[in-house]
Amino acid sequence: MHEGTPTPEVVDWDDLPGLNGQPLDSEQLAGKAVLVVNVASRCGLTPQYEGLERLQRTYGDRGFTVLGVPCNQFAGQEPGTPDEIEGLCRTTYGTTFPMTAKLEVNGRRRHPLYQRLSAVPDAAGEAGEIEWNFEKFLVAPSGEVLARFRPTVAPEDERIVERIERALR
Amino acid sequence: MTVRATEVRIGDRLRTRTGLELTVTRIDHGLLGREDFLSFVEDSDEQWLKMPVPRDGDVELVSRGTQ
Repeated sequence: MHEGTPTPEVVDWDDLPGLNGQPLDSEQLAGKAVLVVNVASRCGLTPQYEGLERLQRTYGDRGFTVLGVPCNQFAGQEPGTPDEIEGLCRTTYGTTFPMTAKLEVNGRRRHPLYQRLSAVPDAAGEAGEIEWNFEKFLVAPSGEVLARFRPTVAPEDERIVERIERALR
Repeated sequence: MTVRATEVRIGDRLRTRTGLELTVTRIDHGLLGREDFLSFVEDSDEQWLKMPVPRDGDVELVSRGTQ
């Protein structure tokens, strides 16, 4: 289950709450290729922050950004306050990419962003619920959702890197 | 009390290691390609929460369901 077939699902970046409690500045995302990732601080996959930040530093000046979406719906592995989440990201992993407030990505109260993202299939053709922390969606500068990568696909996996490079051409 | 993961049934109420509780409405087999896991899910008006457990592991049971 890896990169999915491109679909006509389109997202926008309006009305996203930022981790600091203020609305996220959509200018940080609009017109960029965005890798949207639901993150958690106490997951075995949490070290993926390192690879995500390397992507940010490699492609950040070419019109790309990672967007972290903290979520506590997977075994409660993101229980912290915004300050605690920020501390882990910025201090432990040195991240520089934007983060939303804690959002729900599955279920009846999932955020509208994830209503659209979850409709996108992965490489195996499977759409639907987010399986676990660190599932990734690549969104084109136009807002079209280009691909879905399951949590065990590492941030710097060649399939993700190749897709980012193509999105930036 | 704890019970074996394989003994959990729909309607049982469980507690995660981080202290959250869920009432199981669905049991998925496998997680991230690992077939040795069961994933207990509450998908209700109250919440959506997923708790994976190794098939041969134990879980904290808060109460038995009625189903």
